[in-house]
Amino acid sequence: MKPFAEWLAQTAPSLAIQNHEWVIPTIQSIHILAICAFVGSVLMIDLHVLGWAWRDQSLRETTARFGPWVSWALGVLLATGVLMIVGEPARELLAISFWMKMALVLVAVFAQARLRRRPAKPLAAATFLVVVGVIVLGRLIAYDYVWGSWSAWMKA
Amino acid sequence: MDLSALPAWLEASALATAIRNSLYLFALIESFHVVGVSIVVGTVLVIDLRLLGLASIRRPFTVIATDVFRWTWLAFALAVVTGALMFVTNATSYYVNTYFRVKMAMLVLAGLNMVAFELTARRSVAAWDRHPAAPPAGKRVAVLSLAVWIVVIFLGRWVGFTLSTTTAPANEEINLEELENLIPK
Repeated sequence: MKPFAEWLAQTAPSLAIQNHEWVIPTIQSIHILAICAFVGSVLMIDLHVLGWAWRDQSLRETTARFGPWVSWALGVLLATGVLMIVGEPARELLAISFWMKMALVLVAVFAQARLRRRPAKPLAAATFLVVVGVIVLGRLIAYDYVWGSWSAWMKA
Repeated sequence: MDLSALPAWLEASALATAIRNSLYLFALIESFHVVGVSIVVGTVLVIDLRLLGLASIRRPFTVIATDVFRWTWLAFALAVVTGALMFVTNATSYYVNTYFRVKMAMLVLAGLNMVAFELTARRSVAAWDRHPAAPPAGKRVAVLSLAVWIVVIFLGRWVGFTLSTTTAPANEEINLEELENLIPK
């Protein structure tokens, strides 16, 4: 992964991002705004299944309202996420927080898809906790040293 | 009482020192700050779009507000507590940071905007509760709310990139000089 990160850091798009200080904070801000839309929408679907909100309408109506927001937000998250990898390859790709986050993202997406087909309260609660885990691991990418020798940062 | 001495006093407190000396605490506190902020803005978005008549338009506004706001407030409490802990950890640096100051002003503006809503559109809610959109006064509140929260997110990130401080404690296993190139905020 390290040679790939070093190669990527020398490519034109990466250098373009690195050469403008405002780009990374801007991409991160848009990434967080998409997280807001994502987590808000996931929360509403989960709360419906848990019986804590939106109970005067069917689950189909709630997923019709919030499902597209989950998908669109995910698209923006992937796009801005890729830009952050291109801009700072070593920071992302060598961080164990990053890879744990990607694993949890997959779990979250599958759990959400399953929840809409087979709604169950434990799954709804678990889905939300997984999304919280994704957010926490996402922020920990900036502090990957917290994992000590598990982090490839330490060997970089 | 001289308020200008408060940041230095906070920063010297046992709580602030404990967070600064921990390898994990600040990172974890900041992570849950993002969790809190995300839920606040994500739920506010649901309300604002309803006021503007852009989403959830077939449900009465008051029903949605009841369903959603309790989570907004819970998440806001989390954001305030984690935000306060981050502030005391490096109080003097945050205190003089322009982006931080503007962010706090924006949060005050968000509060005033909420008061404006209570004094205007909320008072006549019975008349428009089932309408697809709020009256103009309610729509103005929603537009200002969306703008303020988007700006707050950007400012929060800019505080992280401009704060001149070290939050990681000295640790012999970690070569901070080598890491410096790798770790922006």
